[in-house]
Amino acid sequence: MAIDFKESTGIAFQALRANKLRSLLTLLGTIIGVTAVIAVISLVQGMNQYVSGKLLAQGSNVFWIDKIGFEMDNDKIREALKRPDLTLGDADALASALGNKAYVKAEASTNSQIRYLEHKMQRIDVKGVSGNFQQVDDQEIENGRPLADLDVQRRRSVAVIGSEVAEELYAGLDPVGHDLQIGNRRFLVVGVAKKKGSFFGESQDRYVQVPFGAMLKLVPQTPSVTIGVKSVDAGRFQQVQDEARAVMRGVRHNRPGEPDNFGITTPEAFLSLWRNFTATAFIVVIGVAAISLLVGGIVIMNTMLVSVTERTREIGIRKALGARRGDILLQFLVEAVVLSLVGGALGVALGSSIALIVGVVSPLPAAVSGVAVGLGVAMSALVGIFFGVYPAARAAGLDPVDALRYE
Amino acid sequence: MGVLLELIDLERTYRVGSEDVHALAGVSLRIMEGEYVAIMGPSGSGKSTLMNIVGCLDTPSSGVYRLKEREVSSLGDDELARVRNEEIGFVFQTFNLLARADALHNVELPLIYGGVGPAERRQRAEEALHQVGLGDRMKHKPNELSGGQRQRVAIARALVNRPSLLLADEPTGNLDTRTGDEIMALFAQIAAAGRSIIVVTHEEEVAARSRRIVRLRDGKIESDLPVAPQAQTLAAGG
Repeated sequence: MAIDFKESTGIAFQALRANKLRSLLTLLGTIIGVTAVIAVISLVQGMNQYVSGKLLAQGSNVFWIDKIGFEMDNDKIREALKRPDLTLGDADALASALGNKAYVKAEASTNSQIRYLEHKMQRIDVKGVSGNFQQVDDQEIENGRPLADLDVQRRRSVAVIGSEVAEELYAGLDPVGHDLQIGNRRFLVVGVAKKKGSFFGESQDRYVQVPFGAMLKLVPQTPSVTIGVKSVDAGRFQQVQDEARAVMRGVRHNRPGEPDNFGITTPEAFLSLWRNFTATAFIVVIGVAAISLLVGGIVIMNTMLVSVTERTREIGIRKALGARRGDILLQFLVEAVVLSLVGGALGVALGSSIALIVGVVSPLPAAVSGVAVGLGVAMSALVGIFFGVYPAARAAGLDPVDALRYE
Repeated sequence: MGVLLELIDLERTYRVGSEDVHALAGVSLRIMEGEYVAIMGPSGSGKSTLMNIVGCLDTPSSGVYRLKEREVSSLGDDELARVRNEEIGFVFQTFNLLARADALHNVELPLIYGGVGPAERRQRAEEALHQVGLGDRMKHKPNELSGGQRQRVAIARALVNRPSLLLADEPTGNLDTRTGDEIMALFAQIAAAGRSIIVVTHEEEVAARSRRIVRLRDGKIESDLPVAPQAQTLAAGG
């Protein structure tokens, strides 16, 4: 097969340059389709990396037990709220049953105003903790010391604060050793936690951590606790989870056959929810992209059919000089593919820009991946081939005598 | 000298509406290698149809066409394309150059379809353009060339693949008399070098430059006569 590549690609680019507006309209569908694919894949992949990164940072072998569990259905949440509260006693029972196989912590929190001298912060998450909270949370202390077991046992009014609280409330001052007013009670700051950054734009450093007993003094009644369990051996995560469930059923008097009256949440549950969400996003995008590419392909086909008609005589000349059907077919296919690849390249550029801009101006992360770019290019090439075949076949099938006579 | 081509009882019928039109109604002709033949006839005589079949652009409805002892009347499209590429060089009345391509690229086209590599292709195309006196116009596009120069490019393109037959269709039809004479002088040179030429024309002066004139009428050969030597001299002189 001898193909006049120089001519074919040259003609395609010449046609694009000759009429920029028409070219833009010709390629619009392809551009939109590829843009959508690149932008969404980049955003979703960026978020995937982000989410799994954050979840892994939280410890992949940690699970949580609380009243509701991981539930998205409002009715079920309302139903679950009627369950008996989880208590510190449940956590203790779990800790002794699991022994040295797992770390167990209990936590409950409230929102409160906090104050140091004239500086105030509203609605700060005040977490009361007990048990092996340090191991379960992987908490790192920047300055001072973590809460000690003795603090928890004696319900001391001491606090470890998040880095953002330290910055806003103490403004340059080392908070350790200073007072912290929580609600109407006075606490002593003993430590500042290391900065954790934000999760979907929400800061993870705006909190105050106090002993569980101390937190109870801030609230009118004991709230339901969340129990965090971390398997010591990551390989026995599932086994620890099964045991914890059995223990909890016993402690909370679930009869055999009765459903759990508590919920267990694992990182996997988050991830699978996330995957469901992104799968939906992908389906929507595939739909949008498919329609755009279909329309784009039809427009390209139309342009190519016009081109074949306009160049009937040229086709006749080429055939007279010895071009076979395949040569002409390939020539017009190359033109169609070059055309659609230009659209694809513009789409890749546009989609990547959108993803990068979104990444910069919003907390949503974006990662333009080679896979997305490759997919965009491949899709546009396929559109060119698919919708270029018919016009190219028409050109190839022209009778040389008729084509040479064409005015 | 061997036989270049042989037509035996060639017929070509077109169907127009419900009627059959016999463009060629039994043409038999033999042309030897190195001959310079003019085919003449009024419009509708079938000379274009004959040219298309001889040029392997079309196939006869019946009869036999042998080109260099090969039966080509029943070949398929791609085989005919190959024969055109290797055996036939076309020169058209309207030059039929690709407008977007420069002279060099136009001349390279038959070599591209003949599967000749880029380096050799370029070299041969340059050589062919030099031979028609356009060594200094290779990078010019057709619209930057005069009519005579365009026809020279077309001739270079026709000859670049060293075909057995140069097939010209009214090669001077779109040229003024002086330029036409130059082109015909070039044809005479090419014929003198031993290349077989068939010129389809309705101009007596053009036909007089050849050595044999075949006249067609109503799809049949009316006469087939050698050109008298003095007529050639006269034509060449005038």
